[in-house]
Formats: sequence, C-alpha cells, structure tokens
Amino acid sequence: MKTPVVILDQVDKYYPKGVHALREINLQIDQGEWTAVMGPSGSGKTTLLNLLDGLDRPTSGRIEILGVDTNRFGADEWTVFRREHIGLVFQQFYLIPYLTALENVMLAQYYHSMVDKKQAMRALERIGLSDRARHLPSQLSGGEQQRACIARALINAPKIILADEPTGNLDEENEKTVMDIFRELDLEGQTIVMVTHNPELGKLADRRIYLEYGRVTAFH
Amino acid sequence: MFWRILFDSIVRRKKRKGLAILAVWIGISLVVGLLMLSLDTGDKMNLELRSFGANIKVMPVSSSIPVTVGDYALTPSMDSSYLTGRGASPRPVILSEAKDLRSFGPLGLRMSRLHPKITPRRLSYLEESDFPKLKEIFWRNNIMGIVPRLWTEGEVNGSTVPILGLWLERRIPTETGEDFVTGATQLYKHWSIRGSWPSRGDERTCLMGVELARRFSVSLGDTLEVKGQRGSIRFQVSGIVSTGTQEDSSVITSLDTVQRLTGLEGKVSEADVSALTTPENKLAEKYRLSPQSLAPVEYERWSCTPYPENVASGIQDAIPNSAARVIRRVSETQGAVLTRIKGLVFFLAIVTLISCSLSIMGILASAVLERRPEVALLQAIGAERSHVLTFFLVEVALLGIVGGFLGGMTGSWIGQELVQAIFASKANDHLALVILSPFLGLGVASLGSLRPVLQALGEDTAQVLHGN
Repeated sequence: MKTPVVILDQVDKYYPKGVHALREINLQIDQGEWTAVMGPSGSGKTTLLNLLDGLDRPTSGRIEILGVDTNRFGADEWTVFRREHIGLVFQQFYLIPYLTALENVMLAQYYHSMVDKKQAMRALERIGLSDRARHLPSQLSGGEQQRACIARALINAPKIILADEPTGNLDEENEKTVMDIFRELDLEGQTIVMVTHNPELGKLADRRIYLEYGRVTAFH
Repeated sequence: MFWRILFDSIVRRKKRKGLAILAVWIGISLVVGLLMLSLDTGDKMNLELRSFGANIKVMPVSSSIPVTVGDYALTPSMDSSYLTGRGASPRPVILSEAKDLRSFGPLGLRMSRLHPKITPRRLSYLEESDFPKLKEIFWRNNIMGIVPRLWTEGEVNGSTVPILGLWLERRIPTETGEDFVTGATQLYKHWSIRGSWPSRGDERTCLMGVELARRFSVSLGDTLEVKGQRGSIRFQVSGIVSTGTQEDSSVITSLDTVQRLTGLEGKVSEADVSALTTPENKLAEKYRLSPQSLAPVEYERWSCTPYPENVASGIQDAIPNSAARVIRRVSETQGAVLTRIKGLVFFLAIVTLISCSLSIMGILASAVLERRPEVALLQAIGAERSHVLTFFLVEVALLGIVGGFLGGMTGSWIGQELVQAIFASKANDHLALVILSPFLGLGVASLGSLRPVLQALGEDTAQVLHGN
C-alpha cells in the first residue's frame, strides 16, 4: 500500500490584484513517486511548488505533508520543517557566491544538524563534482552549479525533493546529467516533485500533473 | 561553520567589504577629526584669547581702596575706560601732593595728567620677587602670563614723562622642570608696535608711546636721554607703540632698568595677569548671590573651578599686601566668545556625525539589499531569521569596527592637522576618542544595517528566489 506524502485538499491561492493562481487543487503524492508538474507559463506550477515548500501560503484549503497539517505552521516552524524534510532545487541554481561548492553543501548540514565534511564530499562525489568541490560558484559551469545545488538538497536525506525547472537554464548535455541523477534518486525510492514545461522531461517522471489556469486538468 | 562563512564572506568579497569599510573609515575620520577640534577649541581659543591681554589686575591693597573727598571719588585703581581699551591706564596719585583738588577729575589718571609733577614715591608697592610664586599656587596651571609693571616718571628734554618698566621676557622655573616663559612680549601681543620690542638684556633700548614720540618728534632708531632720580640713561628707540591707553604717552623699557633709574629695586606698582578661566555659569552666579545657598558638593565644585574670581582670590593670597581684581568685561567677553565658538564647533561635529552616519547607513543598506537573494536562499535552506540577522549584523559589526579603528587613527591625524592649522599649536591627546572610534563605527554600521536586514528578512522569499 502506498503512503501519501503530500495531500492537497481544495487548495486555492489568490494573489493581490485578483490573480487566482490555483483553484480547488486536490492532489495526493505518494512516497517514492516522481511527479512532474507540467503546464504552460502562468499555469500555477511554481505557485504549487511554493505551497509545498512553505515559501508561500494557500489562501484556502489544506496542505498535509508527511502527515502534518502545514496550515498551522508559522514562518519559523516552516523553516525547521523544511530543513528537516525537504530538499529544494531551483531553476536559477542559487548558491552562496562566496562559499565553495563543498561549503555550500556543508551550509545545509550546518542549519540541519552538524557539519560533516566527509559526508558533504561524498554527496558531491555522487553527482560527479568531487574534483570541483573547492571551486567557487563563479568558477563552475551552469550544470556544475545545478549539480552542487542537488548535492545540497540531498545532503540531509530529505523525504521530498522539490525541484523547480531544474534544467531550465542548462544545455542539453547538462540537462541529461541532471535528469540521470533524478532517475537514480527515483530508483532509490526518493519522492520527487519536479516542475517542468518540457514534455520530454515530464515523460521521465512516474506521473504527470497538468495545470492550466490554476486548475489540474489532467493526470497521467 | 558560522565563523567560516563569515570569514569567507569577508575575505572572498574584498571589494565590496572594502567599500563598506572605506565608507565607515571616511565617516569616522571626519567625525573624530572634528570632535578633536571641538574638544580642543576650548583650551586653544582660551589661549588665543589670552593673547589679547590680561584679565586680572594686581595692585597694592592700599591703592585699591577708594578715597572720597567731597563730591570726588578719588580711586586710583582701574579706570573703567581702561577696561574697554579706549581710555588711559590707572595711574596712582598722591593726594597730599595735589595742588588743587578741584581741578582733579574723579580718577587718579586725569589728575596725573593735569599735574605731571606728582610722583608716586609715597605709594605702596608690591615685591617683584613674589610674582614667580604664582606658578606655585593651586591655579598655577591656569596662569598663562604675568607682567609686573612699575610706573614712575622721568625727565625727557626737560619735560616730565611717565615711564613704565615691565618684564619684557622672563623665565620662571616650575616644578615640572620646564621654565615658564612670560612677559610683555607674550601678554601684549595685541599692542601695535612699529619697530620691535626692546632687546632682551639690552638696557639701552626702549619703546616710545606714539603720542610721546609725536610730541618730541622722535623716530624709530633715535636716541633720547631719560633722567631719573638715580641717574640717567640714553635709550635708543626700538619701537613706537600704540595701545590706545596711557602707554601711548610713556617711555617703556625693562623693569630692571626702571627700578635702577628710580631707586625702586625689587618694587612694582601693579601687575597684569592672564589666566585661563571658566566663564561664569549658574553655579558661580548662585555663589555670588548667596554663598550660603550652595550645598557642600556644589561648594566643592565651585571652589575647584577656575572662575575668574577664584583665580583672582588665589593670586591675592599669594602676593602679600595685594588686591587682585578681575577685569570683568574682558573675562565676560572672552567667556561669551569661547562658549559660542565651542558650541559652534561641537554643533558642526554633531552635524557631521549625523550626515556621515546617514551616508554610511545608505551605503550599508544598499549593500545589504543587494544580498536579498542570499537572505532568501539562507532561509529557504533552513536558516532561521534570528540566525540570518545575527550573521549579517556580526559581519557588518566587524566591518564597522575595522572602519572605525582606521577612522579613529586617521581622524586623530586630521584633528591634529586641523588644530595645528587653526591654532598653530599641537592638539591635546584624545586617546579616549581613538579608543571610542571602533565602537562608534560598530554602532553606526549596525544601526545602518539593521533596518535593511530586517527588510530583507521580511520579504517574500518565494518572490525573491523566483524573481517574480
């Protein structure tokens, strides 16, 4: 029997000036499932992801993650929950510019529990970046930076990986490298929610959710 | 890890951090420099003002007692016109030798002019040897100049003329081992002299008052013979002096020379003293109105403050048979000018502090706001708000301390240069200000960054990270 990791119940999200970004979203994501959230630009993909990582709040409806009703969380509780259970990968592969790739990974360890340099190094090895561990982000290519971000997202063994267009700024070769990593994680049983507008990448996921005008229009 | 991040943040972004340090450095330099100037202005201005003459007059006590004859107040002490610099100097007069009291004006000076033959031989005198003691009294450090003077009369070309002997330049040994240099050349810098002061040690040079020089058609470099009771001396005129007071009608030379010429060795008829004093304030006024109304603590503070009256009293106690009087108008004017200028410079320092603080805050604020994505990212990967706030504030505090330290050093140098340029003297040491400057930098930098960091923390993390 599959265990639900994320449950969205009648979730709505309004932005100021009357923008209705998400409408009555009902969704369940199970443990170990790789879900691709797809749809055209402005369909509400990123908004949905932001509700799942606590960087944004629903206007109405209920979001339950790992059996916890997140609606009752304040900002600090969300921060703690996020660092304990969620790994984030951004489209713009945000790294702290004055820290090396290794230190960026260790930073996530520092906020989670305690720093373990060897473990951080292993995380970089796993994504093939050990030889670039002591380079600053400015000395890394886009693909390398995104891989460093993935290593940072994985370092605390999160229950869920949330990735927003993880290959959006990468060339084809780097895109393949990153997707290989995601496939590997999927095979290991990692729950992944990935936002993408690329149908080819969507096909790699176990399940695809299509959004249009803030509504779920299809499941595949 | 915290310190490692902090270290990396500073070391690996040298340019940005350097700019922030530079902003604090420049700001604190200006503030410290101006504060130094402000703190020194009091002392230095006081010294400058002292160069405009004495503020305390010392006379034999008997000469200072007013005598009333009929409707005339015969007070051979200070003429009020003397205080303004427009009239003549006090001039002792012997009433017993006055030929016609009715022709005398109310002041001894005028009497003397009407009756030039009147001589002060029966006057009481002060002892010249007592004056070096002024550098041993409680207020010794406030005594900036002493000029004992001996007024007498001599004969020039068959006419009787006033002769003034004074300390031209005298070295008085002090307990610190350094000599205290004083004399007319120091105290009467405001005298207008065409030519030069009589040479030190040369008994045959003198200054001649401008009126007397005109009367005898004497020019610079001319010689004239002055006859006294104990002989005569042929002087060469080294300078023509214009003071606006009785010196304009006198021959002026060294005290020793005049004492020998008149047989009054060791005697002086008065002395001018220049003292650093504190302008009278409410406490001084309270004492003046009712000494009994002062609480013991107030009395102690009053007695340890160099108010003009206190210093005069100390001088009077040190010189036997003397009466020391404050030239009140001079003291009050100096006090008022001093208070205003000190206030002005302090105001400038405060305005500079505020404007520098604002510009430092502006620079740091924009530096912090540039790092909004970093703040958002730290929060996204699990940093609590308090941690991010601490990190940014500690970082900026370190920059502030370094900038403040550098600012303190440079500001100290700027202050020295300003004081040197304005007052032509070395600035006092203000170690406390230099020690305080890193804390000033810390405070300004922290205050400047607090709001932008809180602002960055309050921003919508999702919006910042997704650039929406």
